[in-house]
Amino acid sequence: MVLCLFGTCLFCSAVLGGVYAITEKPIAETNKKIQEAATGAVLVRNAEGTGLADGSSILPKADTVLVDGTQFEYFTQVLDGQPIAYAIKSTVTGFGGPLTIMVGISPERKILSTKVLSHSETPGLGAKCDSDEKFISQWRGLDLSVTKLEVQKPVKDGIDAITASTITSKAYTKAVAAAVAALDAIKSSETSSVISSEVEKSLKQEVPNE
Amino acid sequence: MSKFNLVTKGLVKDNPTFVLLLGMCPTLATTTSAINGLSMGLATLFVLVLSNIAISALAPAVPDKVHIPVYIVVIATFVTVLEFLMKAFVPDVYASLGLFIPLIVVNCIVLGRAEAFASKNGVLDSALDGIGVGLGFTCSLTVIGLVRELLGGLSAFGWKIPGTGDGMLAFVMAPGAFLVLGYLMVLFNKFLAKK
Amino acid sequence: MNKLLVSPSPHIHSKTSTASLMRDVVLALLPAAIVSVVFYGLGEIVVLGTSIISCIVLEYLITKYLLKQDNTICDWSAVVTGILLGLNLPASTPWWVVFIGAVVAIGVAKMTFGGLGQNVFNPALAGRVFLLVSFPTYMTDWQIPGGLFGADAVSGATPLGVIKEGLLGGAKLSDLTAQYSWSDMIFANIGGSAGEISAIALLAGFGYLLLRKVIRPYITLSIWATVALVSLAFSLAAPEQFTGPAFNLLTGGMILGSCFMATDYVTSPMSIKGGIVFGVGIGFITMMIRYFGSYPEGMSFAILLMNAAVPLLNNWFHQKKYGRA
Repeated sequence: MVLCLFGTCLFCSAVLGGVYAITEKPIAETNKKIQEAATGAVLVRNAEGTGLADGSSILPKADTVLVDGTQFEYFTQVLDGQPIAYAIKSTVTGFGGPLTIMVGISPERKILSTKVLSHSETPGLGAKCDSDEKFISQWRGLDLSVTKLEVQKPVKDGIDAITASTITSKAYTKAVAAAVAALDAIKSSETSSVISSEVEKSLKQEVPNE
Repeated sequence: MSKFNLVTKGLVKDNPTFVLLLGMCPTLATTTSAINGLSMGLATLFVLVLSNIAISALAPAVPDKVHIPVYIVVIATFVTVLEFLMKAFVPDVYASLGLFIPLIVVNCIVLGRAEAFASKNGVLDSALDGIGVGLGFTCSLTVIGLVRELLGGLSAFGWKIPGTGDGMLAFVMAPGAFLVLGYLMVLFNKFLAKK
Repeated sequence: MNKLLVSPSPHIHSKTSTASLMRDVVLALLPAAIVSVVFYGLGEIVVLGTSIISCIVLEYLITKYLLKQDNTICDWSAVVTGILLGLNLPASTPWWVVFIGAVVAIGVAKMTFGGLGQNVFNPALAGRVFLLVSFPTYMTDWQIPGGLFGADAVSGATPLGVIKEGLLGGAKLSDLTAQYSWSDMIFANIGGSAGEISAIALLAGFGYLLLRKVIRPYITLSIWATVALVSLAFSLAAPEQFTGPAFNLLTGGMILGSCFMATDYVTSPMSIKGGIVFGVGIGFITMMIRYFGSYPEGMSFAILLMNAAVPLLNNWFHQKKYGRA
């Protein structure tokens, strides 16, 4: 009896071990692709829009920056060692709960694109922040010097809300504004680290290649 | 019973969803669209056929006292294999079904068929039974998913009817699952009773 | 065996029948219907008309062709459902959305359970909640009353909606409530679904029903008392966060719901004690949804939830048999 159960378990573990060994690599590759799709979609794209801009790559490790006690995780896209865009993860409280978006933004404070990572908004209303083309498209290439990060009714120089979902639209706008603040913090920390590297040569290897 | 009847029995007369009311949890939770229902059905079909084969082969050697633990270990193994495979090769489907794939382990259809059929019958018959019941489950879930998708999103198998907006969103949410299941059950049984 | 239903005495003899009761309810709802037509104009006529006609036609078709029973439209209950559903929808609702609501109300909530007397949930509310979940864009586009003869109506949110949105956005409650005066709320000058707008017209109808002894007041009163107590406690504890009793009693579907929907014979408990528990439950759930839920108004959800508890309440609070008290 015990032998039978033991034998079954042993055999099943062996099967699982085998399958795991086979699928380990494809799973890791798929997960990497999913991660890249989430960050890459909001960064600088190539002309065909099929992938990242030619020659550029995303730094493999996420960095964090602290703004007013909130930590922001971000990925950096580099071309020839120079950062050309950041994908900043920003979380705010929406209508139904946390709303997490990825904001692609260039060092010149131009918003490239945004993407919803997770939300718990009302289906049919706030949940449209994920699919409403009219709402999503206004973030693409948004110039902060022209458009204000403010939901307006009627729209003058701000953001047009999703129909009947002002709260979600406001939260979304707040998340983008937070990402912009995070960008400013990233840039100032980078300049200061460059200066410090000149003073303290010993820390050279921790400084991004300039 | 003929081999052909073994398969059709699970599809119509002993349909797991509309007649036996088994496996209600995945039925209600994963049928938000036809594709989701179909994938969930196929995933269950995969586990059901393999576990039926394995258990009918093992059954004579398994002592009565430990037969449930042994069956569950076998079923859990196939489910985990399925999970690995889905994660590796169809990550989108895995992402939309998520939690409900591991939950196939406790789907009463799978253990039910192992207990009631596979443990007492030959390997070939058990495989056919698994195919029949699995197909019955798959078809039911696809139909429920299709109806919910049509009413709730005005689309079918991901194809949006051109020029339409939102459907009746309640059908994509939990209440719609109960409503559609209930009314389809009425239709199915009315149809069965007539025959 | 089961053809004869034996119930404990007392057996009441009276001239009232389902039809006459329902006719009284229709009469009681007329003032509110008229007020909303005057305030909202043509759109309201379309909504109410579609709702009433489709409820009657659907009931006729279902009883005749699906259930193959004698048709029950002569008992006026379909008309009541139609009016209640119509009063619960914004005047800007397209006719086909109203029709879907009627299908859910009559087809799903009433006839599937076996028709009048068998339904667990209030049909009009089931229809309304289905529409609220299914078509949130139409169902949240309330109008500021413009009038039958007046200017075009302005689209806007209900006071409860405005406050929920404002509080989530970090505004102060006193600033938000300042824009609504008490007289506006009583005389229908605020945005809302048709039936929400005029407290006076609805209360007049309620008074008529009480006078005619069609309904007894304890369910309604226990709802009001609970809402008042809960909102008093919360607003005293944190006046900048929670609205007070008067505001909560006058806004939203409170009056329509507590007077006409919660008191529905079929879907409310039979005994007085059961009715009071039922009312307290509705009041409490409504306030919890208004304060903490994601929807601004919780009256319909609260009534439907307590509808589901009615069999249990009937079981707990048996009517006492005479002679054995």
